Amino acid sequence: MNFKNLKKSVAFILLLALTSAQPLVSAQKRAKTQDLTEEQRILHALNRLGFGVRPGDVERVKSMGLENYINEQLNPEKISDTVAENKVRELNVLNLTTAELYEKYPNPGQLLRQLQARGSLPSDLAEARENRVKGGANVAPAEMPKNNSNDSMPSTEMSPDAARNNQNPPPPPGNPLENEKYRKLIQDYYRENGLQQPQRIMAELQASRILRAVYSERQLQEVMVDFWTNHFNVFAGKGADRWLLPSYDRDTIRPNAIGKFSTLLQATAQSPAMLFYLDNFQSVSPNANQNRRGGPLQRLRAQQQPQPLPQQQRRGINENYARELMELHTLGVDGGYTQKDVQEVARCFTGWTIFQPRGGAAAVNAMMGEGARRNAGTFFFNARVHDDGEKVVLGHKISAGGGIKDGLAVLDILAHHPSTAKFIATKLVRHFVSDTPPPALVDRAAATFTKTDGDIRETLKTIFMSKEFNSTAAYRAKIKRPFELVVSAIRTLGADTNGGPQTHQWIARMGEPLYGFQTPNGYSDAAESWVNTGALLERMNFGLALANNRIPGTRVNLSKLNADQAKVMDEYLKTLLAGEISASTRETLLKQLDPADPVTKVVGLILGTPEFQRQ
Amino acid sequence: MNRRFFLKSGSIALASVGMSLSAPAFLERVVLGNTLAGGKRKTLIAIFQRGAVDGLNMVVPFGESNYYSLRSSIAIPKPENGNADAALNLDGFFGLHPSMSAFKPLWDSKRLAIVHAAGSPDNTRSHFDAQDYMESATPGVKSTSDGWLNRYLQSKDDPEKSLFRAVSVTKTMPRVLQGRAQAVAMSSISDFAIRGGKSSANLQNGFEAIYARENDSLAGMGRETFEAVNYLKKANPAQYQPENGAVYPGNPFGTSLLQIAQLIKAGVGLEVAFTDIGGWDTHVNQGNSRGQLGNLLQQFSAGIAALYQDLGQRMDDVVILTMSEFGRTVRENGNRGTDHGHANAMFVMGNSVRGGKVYGQWPGLKNDQLYEGRDLALTTDFRDVFGEIATRHLGSKNEKAIFPGYSSKFSHGFLG
Repeated sequence: MNFKNLKKSVAFILLLALTSAQPLVSAQKRAKTQDLTEEQRILHALNRLGFGVRPGDVERVKSMGLENYINEQLNPEKISDTVAENKVRELNVLNLTTAELYEKYPNPGQLLRQLQARGSLPSDLAEARENRVKGGANVAPAEMPKNNSNDSMPSTEMSPDAARNNQNPPPPPGNPLENEKYRKLIQDYYRENGLQQPQRIMAELQASRILRAVYSERQLQEVMVDFWTNHFNVFAGKGADRWLLPSYDRDTIRPNAIGKFSTLLQATAQSPAMLFYLDNFQSVSPNANQNRRGGPLQRLRAQQQPQPLPQQQRRGINENYARELMELHTLGVDGGYTQKDVQEVARCFTGWTIFQPRGGAAAVNAMMGEGARRNAGTFFFNARVHDDGEKVVLGHKISAGGGIKDGLAVLDILAHHPSTAKFIATKLVRHFVSDTPPPALVDRAAATFTKTDGDIRETLKTIFMSKEFNSTAAYRAKIKRPFELVVSAIRTLGADTNGGPQTHQWIARMGEPLYGFQTPNGYSDAAESWVNTGALLERMNFGLALANNRIPGTRVNLSKLNADQAKVMDEYLKTLLAGEISASTRETLLKQLDPADPVTKVVGLILGTPEFQRQ
Repeated sequence: MNRRFFLKSGSIALASVGMSLSAPAFLERVVLGNTLAGGKRKTLIAIFQRGAVDGLNMVVPFGESNYYSLRSSIAIPKPENGNADAALNLDGFFGLHPSMSAFKPLWDSKRLAIVHAAGSPDNTRSHFDAQDYMESATPGVKSTSDGWLNRYLQSKDDPEKSLFRAVSVTKTMPRVLQGRAQAVAMSSISDFAIRGGKSSANLQNGFEAIYARENDSLAGMGRETFEAVNYLKKANPAQYQPENGAVYPGNPFGTSLLQIAQLIKAGVGLEVAFTDIGGWDTHVNQGNSRGQLGNLLQQFSAGIAALYQDLGQRMDDVVILTMSEFGRTVRENGNRGTDHGHANAMFVMGNSVRGGKVYGQWPGLKNDQLYEGRDLALTTDFRDVFGEIATRHLGSKNEKAIFPGYSSKFSHGFLG
């Protein structure tokens, strides 16, 4: 980027940061007309339909026309996106099937147990495994507890210590040398056998989300991926979900983000990630016990778990998915269903499960030349454990003997229920317009949703073209969520990033790690429920770190401005802060400038302003 | 948001943290707060043992013969004079793991109570689900959006409007404190600051100036943030000296507890503190009197005992509560470890605690007394323990709001 553009981009974020300041001349003007200027409408659309404004974006949209831009964004498949595609090209995880992830990124603890069971565990590894001190969370991905809980397969549940504070948990107790040795041997063994540690999976998936949000021309597509990923939340720390999430992003969410809601809903219902997260994969009809023996699942279990089970397996219907499907995915909590409906829906989904939910012995099989298991970690319907009796769901009779059609019928009923239209419309309006969604717009968006058979694109169009969306009340009324703040700061500054772990950590520090929300409701879209003092402090610290190039893997180039320091500084302060900032504050800002790098500091401060937190 | 930062006993607190009288606006509020606030603040320190501690080796039922039959290599020997590996006798039936000698004086002076066979009625043996339920205190209901400690905060107005009413000394906000009520998560007091190297002070001034000029919710929160930051700065964490000869273990857990003591002594209005300690998932080579679990229990008990000692007389108003998501199998497994079980033991400590007693009905360890044929059965719902602390110690009048859908069955009376 040349000096002129840099200057422009800095000036631009200053402008952006300050256009919403409260006693503003322009705001006063707006108050009279209640209309946004053309420039403001463009800024607004770029912020809400996308992740912030890159240098040059406003001019580009102006020349093509705002409505054309919105229509273009609503049809992402027609937008060429080579830059973003090149950025994620190196992220291998994105291109692997779940079975391949199990094969190439196995859980070390599981792998070692399976090697041992086959008598193929190298003696040094066996010894190190025996001597190491287990339990510290920083060995979490390397060795996970054997789980005698819900089914007979080896558990891949994230280490319990890591489940909550998965950033930098305290080191394990005991002799660190033993653990260090164990880790080293695991690393060597993985390298020698062409394997990767499973931590890579979530690292690469998170990187892809950041890279696409920063670089993609399909900005609305990325916003909707973020929206649906949050709406249909899955926590990476639950069991096998880290292996299942790349497919969830690629095969479930992305292809359906701006399509028909019913298609998206069915994709999530049949996604291994959701089936695992909300336990439906182990929901079986209690009446099916007699004829289950000899089913594929049983054969599989017998094959994988040679030793007798230490406990009775927990068997039966699991209602978790049925409840959250109605409460959080479709109808909403007051959407008009009863506990009886939850039970009936749960019956309908018995047998919706995952083939080899934890990958079976994919890695060992592959290493032993026994061939890959292509279907590991994929959806399948196990008719043998399905409750095939008659059900009644929300007043609809579902006849006996329907098999997999029972669940499909439920999804159809839910996708077309008026409560769903209202619930989805409310969430979309809250996301795109205001934390307090205008009821009239919600009604119109819900009407479009219903009229178009749940067409997400058409529903969005109703919202984007509404007077409520293009109102001064909505303008910069939303506070950026941590992911949005990080991405928009990088975009606005024209910075370059590899989307690496340091960016994930900043997002986590601000309170919303990607794929890190434990409960199925996802991160709230209303700022009131999550902005707090600690998080605000981290937002300011992030701005400083970014502007001063203290985030490895992310580079912002402002240093050239030094040449012209005094002049440039004065220009920015006079042009952009005059009237918006008190003389004493201006003095304060000026005083703390270091002659060596004044602009980076000013930029850091601006990124931390209340205004930059808004979109 | 309209919070103010009052201190309950401004001048004392200021003196104790060596604050200079150089922040006029701030001090005005402090003084005002001092005159307005009344009564002593009660504090709960909640500690989560993540990973499911083996409660049967932590609080050993040495009076059960089946304990020894089922744990051939990992059992803790019965109390015996001169045997450093033996359980520390509590009441002739239960004993502490020998690595927890730091707890013994607290037991002897009746400041340490134990609730055994306590936990979640849900039978999940998933760490994830069980921690979730213990923190939301709605076992079996996954979609509860807030944690029970946050619901406590919501249920009771804080007349002091302290910004540090609830602090989690963890990197991220734990589930138990998530929710509408204001809470702060910090990995350390010194991290709760603008971190800009040598320019930090200047940068903070810049931010303070920016946030001072605006009148929206974020700016208001920004001003609160800097009040908090400035106050903590004056607590001067680097210069902290534990009192009464307390020595914290030099591990992350000890450091976390030290931060909590600092916050309490700084008089920031701390009502609920939280931290956690991991590593309890002892499936392999758990050890017996010595070994993996013993090392961890030593760190755990030494840290808490140091905190108790450091807080001294302040423990009149503080209760320390420990919890873990579930217990472990009564029978040891083939790897000299234990697998995921059911009920567990909890510690409750404080000068107001009626200690020196193991509370709760003991269900027994005979084979036919075990839950699902393998685990310690549950006789106390953890919500009864939480509830007793919320009402008797913290003074909540609205237990129903804290534990939705649950009516406390009984009170153990460990708080009198």
